[in-house]
Amino acid sequence: MAAIEVSGLSKRYGDVRANDDLTFTVREGEIFGYLGPNGAGKTTTIRSLLGFQSPTEGTATVLGHDVRDEDELIEAKAEIGYLPGDPGLDEQVTGREYLDYQASLKGDERRGELLELFDPPLDRKIREYSRGNKQMVGIVQAFMHDPELVIMDEPTSGLDPLKQEAFNEFLRGERAKGKTVFFSSHVLGEVRRVCDRVGIIREGKLVTLEEIDALLRRGGKRVRVHTRPDADLAGLDGEGIVDREAFDDGVQFTFTGDYNALVSLLAEYDIVDLEIEEPPLEDVFMHFYGAD
Amino acid sequence: MFEVTRYEGRRRVRGTAVLTALLAVYALLIVFLYPSIAESGADFEEYVENLPPAFREGFVGSASFTTVEGFLSVEMYQFLWLLLLGLFVAYSAGALVAADVESGRLDMLLATPISRSRVLVEKYLSLLVPVLGVNLVTPFVVYAGLLAIGETIDPVSLFALHLLSVPYLLTCGGVGLLLSVRLNRADIAQRGGIGAVFGLFLLDTVSTDTDFEWLGAVSPTRYYSPVDILGEGTYDVAGALLLLAGAIACVGVSIVLFERRDF
Repeated sequence: MAAIEVSGLSKRYGDVRANDDLTFTVREGEIFGYLGPNGAGKTTTIRSLLGFQSPTEGTATVLGHDVRDEDELIEAKAEIGYLPGDPGLDEQVTGREYLDYQASLKGDERRGELLELFDPPLDRKIREYSRGNKQMVGIVQAFMHDPELVIMDEPTSGLDPLKQEAFNEFLRGERAKGKTVFFSSHVLGEVRRVCDRVGIIREGKLVTLEEIDALLRRGGKRVRVHTRPDADLAGLDGEGIVDREAFDDGVQFTFTGDYNALVSLLAEYDIVDLEIEEPPLEDVFMHFYGAD
Repeated sequence: MFEVTRYEGRRRVRGTAVLTALLAVYALLIVFLYPSIAESGADFEEYVENLPPAFREGFVGSASFTTVEGFLSVEMYQFLWLLLLGLFVAYSAGALVAADVESGRLDMLLATPISRSRVLVEKYLSLLVPVLGVNLVTPFVVYAGLLAIGETIDPVSLFALHLLSVPYLLTCGGVGLLLSVRLNRADIAQRGGIGAVFGLFLLDTVSTDTDFEWLGAVSPTRYYSPVDILGEGTYDVAGALLLLAGAIACVGVSIVLFERRDF
């Protein structure tokens, strides 16, 4: 059984097609990244999966239950965790009281274990929390009933890098236990460390669905090289180098080739500074799916 | 069952305590004011006679200021229970859903394995905390106050007055709930709740004793009259049942709207 099966899912708001005939499957036991620029329709899909809104056409199943049928969906929700980017917590209560409330609605057999990893100040009122602390309460409530499937909407905002890494490590552990994670993001770098597969959505349509490794290979790296002002950079070009732009004391390009070749090529120059980073998702689109 | 009611009800406890305390202070003030008003009774009756007819109908009715029952029902209950508490409950109910939509709290609730109808009914039931809270405490305060000034009233009527206010207040809450599921902004739903209940009160008041008296029949205020209960000892039980039916109808329609809505 697929953890999530989206078939022909469309959602229109008036004339706007927020989701347009989406079809894809999320397998059991994988971490699936749902990528797309802001406004692409990621949240719309998630809200349909959770039954917050009903599809205009098509449907989807979560854990085998049709999202259009409330009774079926309720059954599925006992095994689903949900983590939004900015969880709507109750500001007036303490973190502990909030978790108690959520626990009374769905269970909390893993609460203690999770609080060792993510440790917001439970006895303080949530309105005093930093964003990171709120996000930690969000994470704990999303996983504390030990769900089979966790759906997360841009979940990593607000966590500091250490907690971020702990969270990624935690997600890998969940995958090892056979749990399924579906999470949306508009930043490729955010999902690449943990995702097995990604679906890319743009203007409501699914553009591609592939293994993360393949996507990264195709997406390449953005490289920026600074050399001495008088260096001749004409030779710094060749296979795998696209979008090359030269400036006074260096050159910038996107590299999609073999990294060993890049290192050998760079070794011939006297380099002052070097930056190699993920290209923004928008650039990946530009290169591989056209600008329109 | 009732996890949502318990949680939301607990969050209303403090507000209910403050409200109850304020009402108790006001009740004692009115009670201790009574002896001096009763002395100048004739002048007061004259003052009331000269009020505009609609105003007299809305707040005074058939009550007499020179009896403690009449004075209490007008100065305290007609104003505080019929109008202010009605507005308060409608205002509180206006936030039930809309405030949660606004803050994203509703998502966290709808993501849990409970049905939308249960979420709505349980939220609505949390209004029972203030509704029952004030009605359980106030009659004892009023009765004790009256004993202290050497007066007394029929305790059964006093009890009935508070008991029969429960269906009335639940209807006001139902009106607020209806607005709350329709509107996304809590402040608009809350103000709408106040406006609706106040508007219905006016409709009832203005239409009474005119050819358009039937117009006021849609107003919950027509079916609950502190003056009649306390002053004349007549209980409109059918009216109370009608109010209860009205409250249930409001919740029922709200459930249908809430279940069909996209969030």
